[in-house]
Amino acid sequence: MDSTELARRLAEIVGERHVRIAEGDLEAYARDATPLFRHRPDVVVFPGDATEVAAVLTLATELSVPVVPRGAGSNLAAATVPLAGGIVLVLTRLTRILEISGPELLARVQPGVSTKALADAAAAAGLLYVPDPGSQVVSTVGGNVATCAGGLRGLKYGVTRNYVLGLEVALATGEIIRTGGRLWKDVAGYDLTRLLTGSEGTLGVITEVTVALVPKPAAARTGVAYFTDLAAAGRAVAAVIGAGITPATCEFLDRTCVAAVEDYAHLGLDTDAGALLLFGDDGDPEMVEASLARIGQVCTEQGATGVTLAGSIAASEDLLAARRCSLPALSRLGSLTILEDATVPRPQLAEMADRIAAIAAKHRLTIGTFGHAGDGNLHPTCVLDAHDTEAIERSHAAFGEIFAAAMELGGTITGEHGVGAAKLPYLERRLGADQLALLRRIKSAFDPAGILNPGKLGS
Amino acid sequence: MAGDKIFDDELLSRCMSCGFCLPSCPTYRLTGEEASSPRGRITLMRAVQEDRLDVTDPTVLAQSEFCLGCRACEPVCPAGVQYGQLLEQWRDTEWQGRRRPLLARGLLAMMSFVGMVGITLLGLVRRAAVTRRGTEAEPHLMLGCVERVLYPKVSRSARRLVPALRAPAVQGCCGALHAHNGESERGRRLARRLGRRLPGTIVTTSGGCSAHLTAELGADRVVEFSAWIAAGNGPDPAQLRAIMLDENGEPLPPHASGGRPARIGLQDSCHLRNAVGVWREPRELIARLGEYVEVPDAGGCCGAAGSYSVLRPADSRAVLAPKLDALAGLDLDYLAVVNPGCYRQLAGALKGSRTRVVHLAELLATAAPS
Repeated sequence: MDSTELARRLAEIVGERHVRIAEGDLEAYARDATPLFRHRPDVVVFPGDATEVAAVLTLATELSVPVVPRGAGSNLAAATVPLAGGIVLVLTRLTRILEISGPELLARVQPGVSTKALADAAAAAGLLYVPDPGSQVVSTVGGNVATCAGGLRGLKYGVTRNYVLGLEVALATGEIIRTGGRLWKDVAGYDLTRLLTGSEGTLGVITEVTVALVPKPAAARTGVAYFTDLAAAGRAVAAVIGAGITPATCEFLDRTCVAAVEDYAHLGLDTDAGALLLFGDDGDPEMVEASLARIGQVCTEQGATGVTLAGSIAASEDLLAARRCSLPALSRLGSLTILEDATVPRPQLAEMADRIAAIAAKHRLTIGTFGHAGDGNLHPTCVLDAHDTEAIERSHAAFGEIFAAAMELGGTITGEHGVGAAKLPYLERRLGADQLALLRRIKSAFDPAGILNPGKLGS
Repeated sequence: MAGDKIFDDELLSRCMSCGFCLPSCPTYRLTGEEASSPRGRITLMRAVQEDRLDVTDPTVLAQSEFCLGCRACEPVCPAGVQYGQLLEQWRDTEWQGRRRPLLARGLLAMMSFVGMVGITLLGLVRRAAVTRRGTEAEPHLMLGCVERVLYPKVSRSARRLVPALRAPAVQGCCGALHAHNGESERGRRLARRLGRRLPGTIVTTSGGCSAHLTAELGADRVVEFSAWIAAGNGPDPAQLRAIMLDENGEPLPPHASGGRPARIGLQDSCHLRNAVGVWREPRELIARLGEYVEVPDAGGCCGAAGSYSVLRPADSRAVLAPKLDALAGLDLDYLAVVNPGCYRQLAGALKGSRTRVVHLAELLATAAPS
């Protein structure tokens, strides 16, 4: 079926004004935030509700046309690049916050709501939506669930999957199911909510999300410790956790990242330091003060060259905001920025930092590293010249070695960004052939025609 | 077309597609469509630069027109993408000859030299600001070709506040509208000419002119009025209260009876805020005049956007709509503006409401001594 005819059929479902087929529109949806991946879809469709989503999927299954669901397209694993063409199904019209329930500590939202909008709505009700991805101003809740997004509060509070209570999902075969619901305790059936969380649009299309909220902590504060290098900061993290402290936030940036962030945010960070540890805690005000003082003390014992605590809530917010923008800030250094996402067990953090530095040097690359130190989640980020194809080749080799090193240290190839198309080549090594085969059988149970996000998980 | 680079490669490659700009973009907020976001538009520009799309592609052309040029995407961009410059380069190419919107052609013709004579005469008739002889070292007030015709009271107010401001009648146009409408080079020439005609410091009461002139002549030559007053020029606003007075010095309604401080909000000028970085100063001044009320999303475009409200009235109204909803609940006495485009847009929209739209210079000049 040619794309004009496909567009006509889709227009019968969503209305003509919500279907795009012009070249320019297709080009705009040919990529997400992942560099080096681009493929134009044949048609872009903007459904207005779950019924329309289901009808689009039914049609796609009938015609065997690939469908890539997408929110804001801020993901970094090429999870929303339509590698096989077909339909890009955009959920940005579904932006309603349906319910915030104080007594039940939950929110029900449509998938196109931005993470920040949900967090703000929860805060207005005196509650906290915990997951806190760096891209929260733009990323959508649906996308966060689809990729099981992490963020800056992972250490103490966990990631998106720990907060998803229930989902409404349109299946490739046209049914609309509800998994989980409003209850913390519910073991009726396989845990499809958890299976769908992180499924990257390969099992179904999320049309509604119910998330758990927590009471807003009375106080939250951050501080900064400087070290000579990232490995020293890594050792300090291990010492902090070893001392029985679980900070809400424990992030690190190496020298390259500190310079880039300072260049954008002008916070007065010490750009001479080799690495920076941004730590923070929340809860009862006195407990927060004690916790921060203790973390500062442990860092000093571990050789921190300086420790400062943010003087106000605003200053804390500024620090966290600066950390959230480390990736785009890094792109000031070169025309191509490739950010990766490897996780190691926390005690291996220092070793992993050293190995990344060695790999970067071996391949003559600029690799800045920042990440969620508390979770052992690192984001080695290579900055290079987009026209230097030879350097791009070297970066592929370097990242291959970085993932191998992470797995060798007992870690994984992605902690929070997802597999997408970018990590698929490494997945079998992480899971093994038998598990990968099981993934494929699960995928075909959900999506018999194989239309959902081909070239990604389960392919 | 191959080989003819439209965009500065360095500027274009700055964008790493993180999408942090999306929520700041008024047109993306309206549509939720990638192509009408800054990131999406840069994707289109890249496709044009790399010959995957032609400049005549309907989406490419439509998006170059749909963009308000408000530059709200710039301050939120951690990578430092200078979108405004890319947009000017885009429109320089897109809007040549017949492809330029008809109304834009008329508008720019009006700003041409011949038209400027007419505007100058009209401005004189409307007594924008009386020409005053003085020394060249004194700061010059720029009259602005739109402002002097539509709102001559703004420059008169500025002069009343600071009589030392020189305001020669023959100044010409700063070229901002040309730069925004596909004539960057002419925009630059006009700015330089205005710079020669107004030597020394140029004080502007228009956010749009301010941004364009600052970019062409430098921040050491050009200073926006509120920033200039806040820096200690003119009367101390702490001495004033925002009860507007008529010609006889009598309080104007609705404050004739009430002695409470006026509730005053501000609509930022996009270019003043996003390109020049001036947004604290007008707020500080207002807070000294009365009760300052922050308008939700005051930094978000009101839809005026230079010539946009004239060229695309329907889209302009759609951008304005959520702002009017926000204003409806604020019970403001005054909504201060710092740019003639915003003035026209909001004064029209708030006609008949109890909120009076005034330029900050007018508010200062007509405030009663406390």
